Amino acid sequence: MSAAASGTSKAAHGDVAAKRKKGPGALATAYLVIYNVVMTAGWLVIAVGLVRAYLARGSYHGLYYSIEKPLKFFQTGAVLEILHCAVGIVPSSVVLTGFQVMSRVFLTWAVTHSVREVQSEDSVLLFVTAWTVTEIIRYSFYTFSLLNHLPYLIKWARYTFFIVLYPMGVTGELLTIYAALPYVQKTGLYSVTLPNKYNFSFDYYTFLILIMISYIPLFPQLYFHMIRQRKKVLGHIEDYGKVE
Amino acid sequence: LSSPAVVFFEVEILDAKTKDKLCFLDKICFLFVSDPQWYPARQSIRLDPKGKSLKDEDVLQHLPVGTTATFYFRDLGAQISWVTVFLTEYTGPLVIYLLFYFRVPFIYPPKYDFTTSKHWVVHLACMCHSFHYVKRLLETLFVHRFSHGTMPLRNIFKNCTYYWGFAAWMAYYINHPLYTPPIYGEQQIRIALIIFLFCQIGNFSIHIALRNLRPPGSKTRKIPYPTKNPFTWIFLLVSCPNYTYELGSWLGFTLMTQCLPVAFFTLVGFIQMTVWAKGKHRSYLKEFRDYPPLRSPILPFIL
Repeated sequence: MSAAASGTSKAAHGDVAAKRKKGPGALATAYLVIYNVVMTAGWLVIAVGLVRAYLARGSYHGLYYSIEKPLKFFQTGAVLEILHCAVGIVPSSVVLTGFQVMSRVFLTWAVTHSVREVQSEDSVLLFVTAWTVTEIIRYSFYTFSLLNHLPYLIKWARYTFFIVLYPMGVTGELLTIYAALPYVQKTGLYSVTLPNKYNFSFDYYTFLILIMISYIPLFPQLYFHMIRQRKKVLGHIEDYGKVE
Repeated sequence: LSSPAVVFFEVEILDAKTKDKLCFLDKICFLFVSDPQWYPARQSIRLDPKGKSLKDEDVLQHLPVGTTATFYFRDLGAQISWVTVFLTEYTGPLVIYLLFYFRVPFIYPPKYDFTTSKHWVVHLACMCHSFHYVKRLLETLFVHRFSHGTMPLRNIFKNCTYYWGFAAWMAYYINHPLYTPPIYGEQQIRIALIIFLFCQIGNFSIHIALRNLRPPGSKTRKIPYPTKNPFTWIFLLVSCPNYTYELGSWLGFTLMTQCLPVAFFTLVGFIQMTVWAKGKHRSYLKEFRDYPPLRSPILPFIL
């Protein structure tokens, strides 16, 4: 009898939960549209900044400095997306989103900002470019999805550009961390040694190496997840072709 | 694994003396399958594919089924007994800590191999840490009464990584040649030790009280109440005082060693225990209508 009772009450609760989960309310949707529009605009500013700086200088070198502030601002702003998941207005996993956003924030602040010597490296331009193009597409994708008017081009771009942008970004990120290593070791940046009254130690140099190693299992998983998503989302086009 | 063979039974139960047909199938029988890899502990039988598992004690006649019943089978994956998991989880930290305490080679610079710390608090910490895990092992063997027999196998890897990893991390610093003893010296250590011992006794008292709630072999559930033992009077204010005392023990140990990794371990443990305590508190409230309203899950009045 207890099994039956818990069965019915669970079903009822499930219905109520399902109704609640039908999507963000009108206010949340309006907020999210504004958020995604602002982010799209922000990354467009960074894109334009990069192009203008390149045209003005005539070289790829040192373009980071021309977009340093908007990059920091808009990439850090993405932390709000973790909040969106936690509150429930966006149906993604808090942990997954948190992980993705924090890895970007880590590279922006704990590597590029903190180790001045790497700021003039070409690898920085590599990942900044990858991030910029990816984010412009991603945020416009969300904007249009929320407004229920998603142009196929944007959907296609979101699930296709990553094929090149993802490896490009990862390469830029890894090369940048690698470039930072000697300076971190020399200056003991963010490192704590024994003895101290809290009996704790932290070696940032080793930590960065471990981060680099962690790309090996993580990157393929994320990459192939996106490839599978691509087949699911865009796959039906190929099916129609086969029918003919 | 091959799919379980679906075998249809028509079971009639006769009275042994009169041979009258009784017609009751009065226990949920485990699925008859030829492959011994489908042992009972990993079978979940339920009325609804996404619903809760039926228990061994459930009686067919009391379930909301008509004359034809449809059950859904779910494979819970490889299972391992709770006792095995606990013993493995707790033996690890016990052994690992001692490896660091005795400064076994390849951990610290070679000149320190097999030396001992000059700080007496380090020896005290080793005794406390070891005592704690020996107590846990003995409780697992002689005190605890488990309501579920098993848990999924992958849990043992996750749990051991947590316990063994943290034990190694803590032990590394406490037994390090460059270890710095607590700022407030003997006074701090003495208070910390009192807190630690008090909470160890408290935690043990709660485990005994919970054990005595349940007669051997039964799975009955009752509300725990304070007993004659003063350490159990905390039941007046808290649903899961075993976790409260556990937190207290580790706070004592943190104070005793003044070691940041120990503080982290205490924090992570506290978060996990709070999650468990809230869940337990909620199920107490759901199951018992007369559950004392003054009680909080883990911290009196606060959490």
